[in-house]
Amino acid sequence: MNFKEVAKRAETGPLMEANDFLMQRVAANVTRLKKQYDVRWDGKTLVNLDDDLADRCWAAGKELLLTAGLYSMNSRRVIEFAPAEVEHALRFAPARLPLGQGKDAVTIYHRAVEDPRPPFVFSGPFNADTHEHMFVRLNEAFAQERIIDCLFLPGYLKELDGLVIRPNSGLSSRAAVLYGQWAREAVRRAGRPGMPICGHAVMALNEIACTNEEWGLRATDPRAMVLISELQVDDVTLTRLAYYLAYGCPIYVAFTPLVGGYGGDPAGTAIVAVASFIGAILLGAEVCHLGPQHIKYKQQTNHHSLFLGSLANQAVARNSQIIATTSHTTAGRPGSDQYAYEFAALALAVVPSGSNVSGPRPAEPLGFNNVSPLMARLFAEVAHAAAGLTRAQAAPIVAALHEKYKDQLTFAEAPRGQPFEELYDVESLTPTPEHQALYDRVREELIRLGLPLS
Amino acid sequence: MATADEIYGRMQASIENYDSEAAIAAAREAVAAGLDPVEAVEKGFAEPIRRLGEAFDRMDIFLPELVMAADAMKAGMTVLEAAMRASGGTLTRKGVVVLGTVEGDIHDIGKTIVAAMLQANGYEVHDLGVDVPTSRFIEAAEHAGAQIIALSALLSTTMLAQRDVIELLRNKGLRQQYFVIVGGAPVTQTWADQIGANAYGRDAIEAVRVLDSRREEWAR
Repeated sequence: MNFKEVAKRAETGPLMEANDFLMQRVAANVTRLKKQYDVRWDGKTLVNLDDDLADRCWAAGKELLLTAGLYSMNSRRVIEFAPAEVEHALRFAPARLPLGQGKDAVTIYHRAVEDPRPPFVFSGPFNADTHEHMFVRLNEAFAQERIIDCLFLPGYLKELDGLVIRPNSGLSSRAAVLYGQWAREAVRRAGRPGMPICGHAVMALNEIACTNEEWGLRATDPRAMVLISELQVDDVTLTRLAYYLAYGCPIYVAFTPLVGGYGGDPAGTAIVAVASFIGAILLGAEVCHLGPQHIKYKQQTNHHSLFLGSLANQAVARNSQIIATTSHTTAGRPGSDQYAYEFAALALAVVPSGSNVSGPRPAEPLGFNNVSPLMARLFAEVAHAAAGLTRAQAAPIVAALHEKYKDQLTFAEAPRGQPFEELYDVESLTPTPEHQALYDRVREELIRLGLPLS
Repeated sequence: MATADEIYGRMQASIENYDSEAAIAAAREAVAAGLDPVEAVEKGFAEPIRRLGEAFDRMDIFLPELVMAADAMKAGMTVLEAAMRASGGTLTRKGVVVLGTVEGDIHDIGKTIVAAMLQANGYEVHDLGVDVPTSRFIEAAEHAGAQIIALSALLSTTMLAQRDVIELLRNKGLRQQYFVIVGGAPVTQTWADQIGANAYGRDAIEAVRVLDSRREEWAR
């Protein structure tokens, strides 16, 4: 399967309405496959320990992708795949991938379940709304954290030159160019000029304007794009794929299966997640990002999403060589203990399950620059420490952490936290004493709970 | 001849079984038996769909079931509405809503959930789909005789189109005619206030709650 064939099938596949695709091809098949493969959630497990369940989930997800295909939203046609094409794509999916340049180059790799090697860490502003005047400083503060492997989605420029940016406008194209320039400037200032930058400049096709070997995002920088739930792709994503594949960029594809949506419960949604992993590979993805959404919660650390993340990642890790990473969004915001407890719980659920990590970020930031590089450091440290644990060792720590925050997951209940400029001295790019104290305190608590951070 | 309660039971079962054909058949039976269509809607369709809405909120059922139940109710309602029209009356709905995902945004699920929940709670919903041009909302609202325009946006950039719909309503001198409710992942109460929306719904359940509780502002 190559992009030529994908693009062709997006024009020639069976024609159907989106609702029919979602109800008949996705929802109905998930219901059937859940029964057929006995993929169930017991209502309480947070970290899956059942290898056979993971394997059944893989088989069900693969069958879902073969039965449903991917829906091309603009042409309203289904991109269908034959079993041999799926097997071929999985066989040749990269198990390791170099990113970045020169001495700053790093390699991301497929991780096995309970793989002792540290996960690859994508971290940065993670598309949080970022002020124009804070963009370079904020990203420099992330890039100076050496434990971060790849600067991740260096912030969303919502406003420029005092104006709100309209998609596809000249202003948005200018924002994309500046995004590339400023992200590159940030990693240069941090002394890591070849550090990979995983980019997604603006939510439109002119996103590609941030690409330039000298001043912008390069052929060695992974480029992020997002499938639409469930198993859907639009023309903008296909067009960006065509360009980045031709340019030679590593392809980072995210998907956001919705718990409570067309996949139903967490087990059914895990089947959709597995199908999304495989569908992304067929589109040309080299790094696959699982970012589960939830019909009631906006963050990814609720009990359903913890289980889903652990099960779907184990299914993929045990049955393929796909390079997987998992998104970490939280209800608590930077500047609160809860922020760390949430991302730690999720990292502990997914890293021993075979995933790399992307994040963290509050799911509902309060205003601009609502992220913390110091918390990114702690996130990476937790992720590295989690690689030393089995799932059975991680599970009780996940449960203890979940207990701390499970009743404060809504917008109103979650701690409000503080923006970057209140958590850091933005001149020296060092955390305030209060923020440093929070880091020290939470780190001690994580050690007390059994995480080998020291 | 079936009793009214038996017919209502069949109508309820059609919703609980997500069966559009059964809903149509039961609604025809209600008409043939000369039952009051308003009472038939309330006892036959509204009660079970309210229960399903609550079950959805508890996550006992999921989006496909909610959509199928709303579709079944919609199918049955067409029969009851036709009967009312034939007798010179109209079937009163809570309100008429024109809803869609704004221009430049192709996210569907959030909007679909809101549509299903509104239908389940007795609103007549005209779902315009995704990537809906700004002026289309207004044309559709005028055509449908809507009181409410519901605008969904999943991206922080496409939120701007929510502002544009309201601005266009203002420019056309139509702003006071419609109650505009906005929602979507990046949307906040602050944004709703900033662009002059009438209301903000954090999720589908709150959208219903807000519209129900502020009926005096949009009912006309």
